[in-house]
Amino acid sequence: MIQIQEVNKTFRDEDTHVYALRDIHLTIDKGEAFGVIGESGAGKSTLLRLLNALERPDSGRVLVGDHQVNQLSRKDLRAYQKDVSMVFQQFNLLNNKTVEENVRLPLTLHQYDHPLTVDAVLNFVGLEDKKHSYPSQLSGGQKQRVGIARALISRPTLLLCDEPTSALDQNTTEEIVNVLKKAHEVFGMTIIVVTHELAVIKALCDRSAVMEDGRIVDIVSVQKSAELTDFKSYHERAIEVLTHA
Amino acid sequence: MPETLSIYIERVIDFAPRMVDSLWETSIMLFFAMLAAILVGLPVGTLLFLSADGRPNENRLINRSLNAVVNIIRSFPFLLLVVAMQPLIREVYGRATGDPIAASFPMIVIAIALYARFVEQSLMDVPNGIIETAQSMGATTWQMVWKFLYVEARSSLVIGFTTAVISFISYSTIMGVVGGGGIGDFAIRYGYQRYETDIMYTAIIVIIILVEVFQWFGLRLAKSIDKR
Ligand SMILES: Nc1ncnc2c1ncn2[C@@H]1O[C@H](COP(=O)(O)OP(=O)(O)OP(=O)(O)O)[C@@H](O)[C@H]1O
Ligand SMILES: [Mg+2]
Repeated sequence: MIQIQEVNKTFRDEDTHVYALRDIHLTIDKGEAFGVIGESGAGKSTLLRLLNALERPDSGRVLVGDHQVNQLSRKDLRAYQKDVSMVFQQFNLLNNKTVEENVRLPLTLHQYDHPLTVDAVLNFVGLEDKKHSYPSQLSGGQKQRVGIARALISRPTLLLCDEPTSALDQNTTEEIVNVLKKAHEVFGMTIIVVTHELAVIKALCDRSAVMEDGRIVDIVSVQKSAELTDFKSYHERAIEVLTHA
Repeated sequence: MPETLSIYIERVIDFAPRMVDSLWETSIMLFFAMLAAILVGLPVGTLLFLSADGRPNENRLINRSLNAVVNIIRSFPFLLLVVAMQPLIREVYGRATGDPIAASFPMIVIAIALYARFVEQSLMDVPNGIIETAQSMGATTWQMVWKFLYVEARSSLVIGFTTAVISFISYSTIMGVVGGGGIGDFAIRYGYQRYETDIMYTAIIVIIILVEVFQWFGLRLAKSIDKR
């Protein structure tokens, strides 16, 4: 279970003061597929990044399982991060490494007891024939599949996705959503998806937080749809879209 | 015309042994400079990068002091650096003049400072997302450097090294001042002091060829390891 309690986060420069997160309370169940939506700058990424300690809160607590993430020592933090994977909007693949090497990367950083094999995970995302390719030889959708394969190989208990489809077109978005959906079904990890694309949440998530200006203004139960439908508007339409079948 | 040519060739053959000696001296100086650039310049540049403000290993004291040292060395006119280092070289090596190893000391110092800056620059060009990815995976700093930063920066590190080595060649030509020898010193001695102009130009052409070879080889290597 994930619990975020009374979390505040500000970014300070010399004269600017951005309240990225204000008084956040949130509980996410183990194995849940949870969405976070909101307009640009609402604080979605910051919220997500609390969970793997890429950001630290100014105040409050971030609890994941029995770890208090914001108070772990460096060593304990690494041990915690070992089982948390992230999928990025810009894929963040190493361009000088092959697909195979990219996917295997997490296994070279930590000792895992029961990781998946490169072949199994490439097969899972449908890229077995691209094993020896370099990222520059792949399309955007294929790159993101590599990103997902890299995230899955360690069998994470928590999968964080920050705008996983926002660099992709409609068709490719659908492919990626299906891969993530399948991953959730097969591996059963907790999965949190941050996006401004409502259709992605609708296809993937059980519940979704709606963020505005650093606050969670609502948490809605999603009526899942089998297909992606293209909706482009934000918060006001979110509830309408998400709560109707 | 064929006669002048044959005279020239004879003279070159005459001077060849001395030219080879001087090339050997240049090689010694370049060897130590290159070694220092890799063994010390690379880690110093990496440390400069890692310790900068806003980076995961931010450390003002280390960053500011390394920065100051590198800037001081690089802003020193090289000839003055050579002269200023004389007492130190004598202390460490026994003598400060008259051989290419003594002359390598200032070369080592400038090589470290110069390449450290190039390394820092190369690492700055690695997208921030790569560092973030390493962090999100719980990589140690060591792992982040070797498995992420150097992998993505490798061709630019090679190009920087090539550029640095070409500067080392240029710096090495000054070392005749302290009896370090080298091909640059050879050109100055025969061309400037003895008016053997043809021999001087020959030496300069040799230097140019040397630079071209390094440049060609460096670019080729950089290209072959760049999969971006
Ligand atoms: N490292 C940072 N330094 C300064 N300000 C930051 C930093 N990271 C985020 N912010 C600010 O905090 C606020 C929330 O940012 P965040 O990235 O969480 O928004 P977001 O909802 O993910 O937006 P987007 O949809 O554009 O990705 C924004 O105003 C942003 O400018
Ligand atoms: Mg964001």
